[in-house]
Amino acid sequence: MIYDSIILGAGPAGLSAAVYAKRLKLKIFVLSRDVGGQAIEAYKIDNYLGMPGVLGVELVEKFSQHVKNLGVEIKEGIKEISILPSSQNSFGVKTNSGEFETKSIIIATGKGYRHLDVLGAEKFEGKGISYCTTCDAPLFSGKIVAVVGAGDAGQDAACQLKEYASKVYLINKYDNLRGDDQRIQDEIRNSEKIELINNAKVAEVKGDKFVSSLVYQSFKNNEQKEIAIQGIFVEIGSVPNSDFLRNLVDLNEKGEIIIDHKTGATSKPGIFAAGDVTDVPEKQIIIAAGDGAKAALAAYQYLKSK
Amino acid sequence: MIKVYSTPTCPYCVTLKNFLKEKGFEFEDIDVSFDQKAAQEMIDKSGQMGVPVSDIDGQIVIGFDREKICQLLKIEC
Repeated sequence: MIYDSIILGAGPAGLSAAVYAKRLKLKIFVLSRDVGGQAIEAYKIDNYLGMPGVLGVELVEKFSQHVKNLGVEIKEGIKEISILPSSQNSFGVKTNSGEFETKSIIIATGKGYRHLDVLGAEKFEGKGISYCTTCDAPLFSGKIVAVVGAGDAGQDAACQLKEYASKVYLINKYDNLRGDDQRIQDEIRNSEKIELINNAKVAEVKGDKFVSSLVYQSFKNNEQKEIAIQGIFVEIGSVPNSDFLRNLVDLNEKGEIIIDHKTGATSKPGIFAAGDVTDVPEKQIIIAAGDGAKAALAAYQYLKSK
Repeated sequence: MIKVYSTPTCPYCVTLKNFLKEKGFEFEDIDVSFDQKAAQEMIDKSGQMGVPVSDIDGQIVIGFDREKICQLLKIEC
């Protein structure tokens, strides 16, 4: 069987593409690691039209229900993907869970965490180092923790953690808090629990079975300081899940897929992309959903022209 | 017997619990966010501090590892 379109990824972009493609009666299949992507970890979402204050997990549930009600098949647990052009007009998609053939592909694989790359960080992943504040914050009740990275996500993490931890160090590489959310920045500056450490980077994570301290280094005088902590929450940005596309479509220097922003078309005819994995500057749920729809409509036009 | 150690805010815990319900399995839901003793029990069993953790007849699964959970429950995934 040859699909009209295989959608890779089931976050807001992939699921929205699925809705549009299915309604256009395309034969589609969604392959994904999980349903929801990074949107599921957003604690509360205040800027999605019509649903202020919705939890990430609730919004994803609505998305996924909508798609399932249309009868779209979603295969989860996909960890490895490779795409091979199999003939003039089709592609082979090889995964850890089977091989498929399709006339077009919509890539919506999103982004994943940027991992802390310092001495000791890998060893203590899950043993005090967490990449999901929303998940693990309540486990650090009464403990001393650090948040690495003080961008929007780091600021949000620090504010979530102060509800549980006895003290929160917020490690910031700049000399001041950045970002547009003044409300949250005031909350951080006024909190007795949060200590902001500016102009610093993490140099090492130490511990025995679990994390027990962190060494940071000042950018100003290169001095190192060790602080006793039991938890580290890492919020240093994300990287596009596009490694499997190298040598297939054009990527920019960040590894994002370069697309035509009118259609979502990549440099390879028949392959479209949408959402956070692309070079769209705004990484927002509503924009990913819109771009997913756009890519599905463009894929439809592409198939019709064949 | 299935135990799920979780926190109310953790999205993957919700996904995991919905998955078990969907497949018709009963489980004991343990909220480790306010039960310190249960939290320690989870850390001792799993050797790590992240949720969710499932205990399926004594076998420990860290995170929502669909493949492993299906294997232990002997169901199609």
